[in-house]
Amino acid sequence: MSRPPRIWISNATPIPGEIVRIRAQVVHPMETGFRFGPDGQPLPMNIVTRFQASLGGEMLLEWLPETAVAQNPYIEFTFSALRGGLLHMVWTDGSGDFAEAEQEIVLAG
Amino acid sequence: MIRRRTLLTVAPALALLGRSALAAPAALTSDSTLMPRSGSGPRIVVCGGGWGGLTAARYLREEIPSAEVIVLERNPIFWSCPMSNKWLIDVVDTAYLTHDMLFPANRHGYQLVQCEITGIERDRKLVRTSKGNVDYDFLILAGGIRNAYDAWFGDDRAAAEYTRTHFPSAYIPNAEHLALKDKIRNFKGGTIVMTLPPPPHRCPPSPYERACVMAWHFKVNNIPAKILILDPKPGIAPIGGGYRAAFEELYPDIITHVPNARVRELDPWNKRIMTEAGDFDFDEAVLMPPHQASDMVFHAGLIGTNAEGKSTGWADMDPRYYHANGDDSVYIVGDSMGAISPHFGHYPKSGHVANYIAKIVARNIGQRVREEEVVAELPDNLCYMLVNGDPREAISVEFTYEVGADGLVHQNQIDIDVRTPDLLEEDFVWAQGMFNDFLR
Amino acid sequence: MTSCAEIDRRALLAAAAALGTGLWPGLAGAQEIESSAAPQPDDAEADRIAAAFLNGAIPQAEGLALDLPALGDNPAAVPVRVHLDQALSDTNFCEELIVLAQRNPKPLACRFRFTPLTGSVDVALRLRLIQSMGLRAIARMSDGRFLEARGDITVAAGGCGM
Repeated sequence: MSRPPRIWISNATPIPGEIVRIRAQVVHPMETGFRFGPDGQPLPMNIVTRFQASLGGEMLLEWLPETAVAQNPYIEFTFSALRGGLLHMVWTDGSGDFAEAEQEIVLAG
Repeated sequence: MIRRRTLLTVAPALALLGRSALAAPAALTSDSTLMPRSGSGPRIVVCGGGWGGLTAARYLREEIPSAEVIVLERNPIFWSCPMSNKWLIDVVDTAYLTHDMLFPANRHGYQLVQCEITGIERDRKLVRTSKGNVDYDFLILAGGIRNAYDAWFGDDRAAAEYTRTHFPSAYIPNAEHLALKDKIRNFKGGTIVMTLPPPPHRCPPSPYERACVMAWHFKVNNIPAKILILDPKPGIAPIGGGYRAAFEELYPDIITHVPNARVRELDPWNKRIMTEAGDFDFDEAVLMPPHQASDMVFHAGLIGTNAEGKSTGWADMDPRYYHANGDDSVYIVGDSMGAISPHFGHYPKSGHVANYIAKIVARNIGQRVREEEVVAELPDNLCYMLVNGDPREAISVEFTYEVGADGLVHQNQIDIDVRTPDLLEEDFVWAQGMFNDFLR
Repeated sequence: MTSCAEIDRRALLAAAAALGTGLWPGLAGAQEIESSAAPQPDDAEADRIAAAFLNGAIPQAEGLALDLPALGDNPAAVPVRVHLDQALSDTNFCEELIVLAQRNPKPLACRFRFTPLTGSVDVALRLRLIQSMGLRAIARMSDGRFLEARGDITVAAGGCGM
């Protein structure tokens, strides 16, 4: 995960209770372990196994992909803006590699 | 010195042609020679001064310093198709797209001749041009695409010409780009249809980007416009997710994507189009016909045929070494290239791929001239598409290639569907890097 | 990945034909060489995973929606959306959600865990599917209820990237 994740947020300054939509994507081969490389040898399995999103230090959601999740995993989720804080997202793959992204959420009004 | 050389060149022609030469310069007769040979190295003629041709010319001069490299280009100035959608809404200005070609020609030491290619005689290793004939040791065909209006209209030239002039495709530089920009600026409202070429075609994601920038212009200027994207494909691709989100969230009242809308019949005079997904009336249109290899590949007799013996419309070429099948003195670079692999068909017909293949071909010709082993190389591809004008947000697609255990080229596609401003910034870095590579 | 980018299957096959059969092995052969992934022969493995998640409970067929495209034209990335269409609260929220691609080599596609802070369950992702198949989403609510949604999808070609 050498490249930074791409994050899109519907509104970083929502009114209290507004449904905020997040899109996040990270570049990752999501190698299933089923495939063979150019040399005919099996390619070792390596997939993103965990995505966690927290707001102000508290867990919003956890996503545990398996081999069926497409390359360059794309995740879209929503949450109700009950409070502000730092939205923190982290991806971890089977090799222990990880990527992170952050976005400050400030409640309007 | 210069004057003397000029005289020496002209003198034999005068002698041959006698008195009439005074009235008609030698260079204008159909059988005269464009340029006598110079130097001791091979002569390499590059047909087309676009992304592929100018890159090839530069790297051939570096690879083979003794080579005489001649670029034949019909346009007096370079106009970049990549980035031109951004120009439609003034994210970049005209000076950003247009470039002087003499500067890189002089700097890297290749000849640039503005002319039309009128024929290619491969048995004589000769290119016929509007300014005379030029012979070659190696020939590079880098002419881009032709608009195959005949796929729509057959022999009805009047319909094709009316369509081209009234609803220009604006896919080949550069007069039509100016016409399209004027059309967008002057549009007062109504329905615009946009026909997408069926694959394979030049720059697969760009018609959707064009729809986005046009829709953005209409949105911010409160122009009651509807854009119907008539797509022959069953869905939006590539970057389907990113485009779908842009259409639905940014331009829900403007853009309608119509899948499976292959054109059946077109009546440009009555502004009516019949497709497999229904019939549509329009007020304005961007009618993009199917694409084929450029005319010069047809002139060279190098168009491929499929299993049924029908023309593919694209170059008949080696998918790993990029030379013509049956004539390894002729290379095909860029959009005119034929199919590469049954896994994915063609390489994306993009400026990035043309630039990449041109460098590989320059290296391969260099290896041949030096009698070294010729190393097969694979390109990659990268495209960024602007989908929002404010904030300026882009999406992107990247392709990488590898040879599989089956000996065939495989494609790996990375769609970045999440639109962000930094992707547009990356786009500018990419474009500047490219311009620096073959225009400076 | 392989043939996933070219969504026009007919054009791809035409291109393959144009390249000449002597030079290129057949498509099916090429894919067999590339991957050992094989589809599940039936729904038994998916049913087993679902039963383990349900732990004896009977799921309700209302309350959860599974949105699929009419046609998965790119089987390497089929868009899938799962959302709860009921109001959530601190005492009634979704704790866990699983998505099953019933005929994939590994039918469990992914798992989600939510908290009361999430407040809204609406997720979208992309799956690679080895063939046309049925999909299931099952949600476990904090009050012990289970909600289920099912859908079928036809994909244009299979095996991409598996």
